[in-house]
This record gives sequence, structure tokens and C-alpha cells, in this order.
Amino acid sequence: MDMEVVVFACQQAVADPEALRSLWGRNPARLRLLSEPCSSKVEAFQLLRTLAEAADLVWVIGCVEEQCRYQEGSSRMGGRVRYTQRYLEEIGLEPDRLGRTVVTPGHPEDLAAAVAEIKARLKKLGPSPLKKKE
Amino acid sequence: MPAKYHIHVRRVAPRFSPLGRSTIIDWSEGCLRCARCVKEMCPVEAYRKRDFDRTQLTDTIDEMCRDCFRCVQGCPRELIFKALNPQYRQLGDDYWTPEIITLTWYQAESGKIPVSGAGYGGPFAGPGFDALWTDMSEIVRPTRDGIHGREYISTSVDLGRKPMFLAFDGQGELLFTPPPLLEVPLPLLLAEPPLGAALPRLRQMLGQAAQSLGTLALAPREHLTEELLPLARHLAPHYAPGKMNLQDPILPQVRAAELADHAGVLEDMEALKKRYPQLIVFIKVPADGRAEARVADLTRAGAEVVHLYGTHKARGLGDCRDLHLKDLIRRCHLRLVADACRDAVTLLASGGIALAEHVAKAIICGADAVVADIPLLLSLECRLCKECREDGPCPIELENLPVKRGAQRMVNLMGAWNNQLLEVLGAMGMREVRRLRGEVGRAMFKEDLDQEIFAPLFAPREGEPLRREGE
Repeated sequence: MDMEVVVFACQQAVADPEALRSLWGRNPARLRLLSEPCSSKVEAFQLLRTLAEAADLVWVIGCVEEQCRYQEGSSRMGGRVRYTQRYLEEIGLEPDRLGRTVVTPGHPEDLAAAVAEIKARLKKLGPSPLKKKE
Repeated sequence: MPAKYHIHVRRVAPRFSPLGRSTIIDWSEGCLRCARCVKEMCPVEAYRKRDFDRTQLTDTIDEMCRDCFRCVQGCPRELIFKALNPQYRQLGDDYWTPEIITLTWYQAESGKIPVSGAGYGGPFAGPGFDALWTDMSEIVRPTRDGIHGREYISTSVDLGRKPMFLAFDGQGELLFTPPPLLEVPLPLLLAEPPLGAALPRLRQMLGQAAQSLGTLALAPREHLTEELLPLARHLAPHYAPGKMNLQDPILPQVRAAELADHAGVLEDMEALKKRYPQLIVFIKVPADGRAEARVADLTRAGAEVVHLYGTHKARGLGDCRDLHLKDLIRRCHLRLVADACRDAVTLLASGGIALAEHVAKAIICGADAVVADIPLLLSLECRLCKECREDGPCPIELENLPVKRGAQRMVNLMGAWNNQLLEVLGAMGMREVRRLRGEVGRAMFKEDLDQEIFAPLFAPREGEPLRREGE
């Protein structure tokens, strides 16, 4: 089965989802990009459920914390991602299957760096052990 | 009096949660667990019923939320916000807007006319079909039973060649056999959409929906496989130039066939008519700069039905790319009127027919009936993500949609459209859709109004200096 990356992207950080998709290019792993009003829309349990259901890697792209449209949204999301990673570690799963990048809105080089990071992480981790059971 | 035509709509629940226009952000950190939002505030209990949608990876709270903002105002720690949903905004494209897509879903689910709340905050005119206003002056006293309680309004149209006059012999007998006519009970034909996943299944649905509605479904001949043959009476095969074969086993079973326009199309039509005299032959003509002359030529040469097609965004083709389909229909219609042969031929129009009002408006511009394609795909909950064009996975798993269910959703959509057409006809004081064709007296074209009325009204008078700000 092909690998799948689910990216939850703040709409301020990733104003043009097509641009991100073209950065992803013809990678064999499937990119599933979900635009959110703010990265903090996504709760910890949603990240966990996404990892349990579909994804080999879950990534959150938010804005740099000072530029969050909802003031505290991005910093809350940072805390939430760290919490979820600790939780994954506690239950014996790889915390690296969840990642987060913050970008400055309107800076395409930040997005390119984020995509490179996601690709590198996916290459390092390979398919998720949770999906092998199918 | 024949029985009233009635489309049997039945609610078909969506398989995927429809995307909400707005979305709730409710931060969990710092929540007091006071449960005001759950227990007291939310009138639709969205907080209690919310769940995680495994296929769409979203929170289902947004589809239940009715935007009352009570939770936003009531949260003691101010942790709840509402925002426009970017996933909703990304549906479709600039023509097939999120509003059109979600309206289509609603109609396909319920079979009901979409009714919005009191007041209309939007603009009163826009480009394309929105630049055409219809006269609803006969809305006086709606009956208690709504459209179904009124006097019968007929939505039937005839497809085929009509004689311009009749001739009788001394005994009062007709001097010629009138050409065959195919009566369809609603001015809508179905057609295979230009994209879509699991197309063999979709064609089955199209055929079944056409059967249930009593109309025809158009599809390329090579797509009409063995399994579809039982539905042949409700299908019309389309032949690409040079592909028509008189020995084709489907031809004796169908009531209509369509030929793409090409240099030898009239010979092909003659051959078909000779072999199958009862068959109605459509000729599909692109809506480009030559369409007007071509439609007139074909009509003079004896064409029965001409199908004018534009792009999927209701634009002309070729050199008419900047023109809207409604203007191209109008041109062809007026040309036929000028040539005194309008009634001889049936004019179909397709491309970018997205809403029920487009049916009425295309007919007002001069079409006898219209052909719907993409809305039928939308009725199956399609999001127009166009993944299927690149062989990507279909997010709504069309390959798993049962044929009966899909067909019923198409029937529901057409039922809702037909009811809206009845409303329009009723509001215009018309009893028959055949009378609506080319009835521009019942419509106002914004471009014409601007030119004829507003431009002279607001033009500076001769010798009068233009007024400057601050004067």
C-alpha cells in the first residue's frame, strides 16, 4: 500500500494549497492536505485518530507564533503537538510520526523547507507499523 | 386529461458529511469543563453529538452548527471562535462554486426546492445567467397546496422535426405522414459528465434515472456496454464523426441517437432515418462563431434536433470563447426565427447548466430543452476535486455507491429542478413550458438595460462639464 501523509495546514500559513501540492510533486507517497482556519482547529485526539486510521505521517503547518491570527492559536498548537508526541512515546509508538513546522505567511521558501522536512521524515520512518495489520 | 407528471423523490441520506460553510474553533486547553456549551447553549446539541469523521478526517460539529453564535458568546473563558471553513471555499472552481455544489447536494438528498432564510444580502445581477432577470409578476396568491395544488402546468417538450403546416386532401386526410416526435415529460435530458470516477456505475445510474424520469440519457456509443442494453429505450448513443455504423445492434432498441457535426453528417442522418424511420436523430453542434449559420443550414436541410454545446463553464467555443452560452443560444434561436423555420427544429443546449434557474433561462433564450451533465455527478456528492482525471482515489468512493441510491439522488435533483421550473412558470402565469421558449418578453437582460436605459440616463449632457468631486 502507498504511504500517505496527512498535512493539516493553517490557511494563513498555506494560502495556496495548490502551490504546496506542486512542491510535493510526483512523490510516490500520497499527500492529503486539509486546510484549516487556524492550525489550532485540530485537537490532539484528532491527530491520534488520523495516525490510527490513515496516515503514515501527520504534519501540522502553522504560522510563526507572533503572527497567529487568533493570537494564541499557533502556540497552543505547539503545546498540543508536544503533548501528543509525549503521549505517543508513552504508549510505545514513534513520536516522530507527528511533526509540526511553523512558517511566516507569504514566505514560499519556508513552505519549501517544510515540504523538504516532511519528505525527509517520511523517508526516514517508512510505512507506519499500524497499517501493516491490514 | 392525462395523468399529472410527477417525479417520485425520496430522501437519500448522504454518505459523507457535507462540508459546513463555517467552522468552529474551540480550544481545549484552559476549558473549565463547565459544559455550558454542551448542556445549555447549543440548541442543536452539536457539542454533544460531535464525532470524528474517519474518512474526511474532520470534526462533524461543523455540519450540525447553525451559526447561532451562542457558544461563542457564552463561553466563560472565551475559548470558542467561528471562522469561514477553508475546505468549503476550496470546493469546485470559479464557475462550479461551493454554493452551487452544496445546493446541489441538498436537492439530491431531499428532492426539495432549496429555500433560504428571509432576506437576500447578495447582488442582484452578475455575469452570465445572473444577468438575466425573469418576470415573476404573476405571484399573487399562492395556493395552499403550493405548486402541486395549482392548475396543471405542463413541462413536456417534443423532440423531433415538426411540420410547419399541414396539408389535407379532399377527404380531409393528411397528405403526408408527419415525422416522428418523441415527447419527454420534462425539458431536461441527462448526459454523461465529462469526468467522474467509476464511470460504468455512473452510466447505470444515468440510465436508471432517465428511465424513472421518462427522459433520455446521452452517452458516447463506445461507453454503452452490454449491461446497459436493458435500459436502451432511455439511452441515446452519441457517435463521433465517421463512427456511425448502420449495423450497430443498439440502434433498433433506442429511440434517439446523436451524431457529432461533421461535413458528412447529413448523409449519415439520411442513412439512419432510411433504415430506422422512427429514430430521432440529434446533431451536436459546437457553440462557436459558425454555429448560427450551421444551425440554420442544418434546419433547412431537414435536421430534426440540433444540440448546441458550450464549455462546462457555459462559454462559447473557439472564437466565441468570451461569449456566454445564453447569448449564443439566443443568436441561433433568432436566426431560425428570421429564417421562418424556428418551429421546424428542436434546439437543445448544454454546457454549464448548473442550477434549476439556468434551465428556465436557457429556455427563455430560445432552447427547447437543456442537457444536464455535471450536476448529475454533483448529485452523487462529488466535490469536483478532479482527482479522477489523474487516476487518483475518489474521496467519496463512487465505486462503492449502490446504483439504485445514486440513481435516486439524480432523480431527486431533477425533481427539485422540475419543481423550481413549475414555480417559475406559475409565477409567470404560464401553463406550459413550450410557451416559455424564446419568451424574452418575460425577461430582462441586464446588458441591454445598461445600454438602453441607464447609459443615456447617466451620460453627461452635451456641453455639460463632468462633475468633479467637491463641487
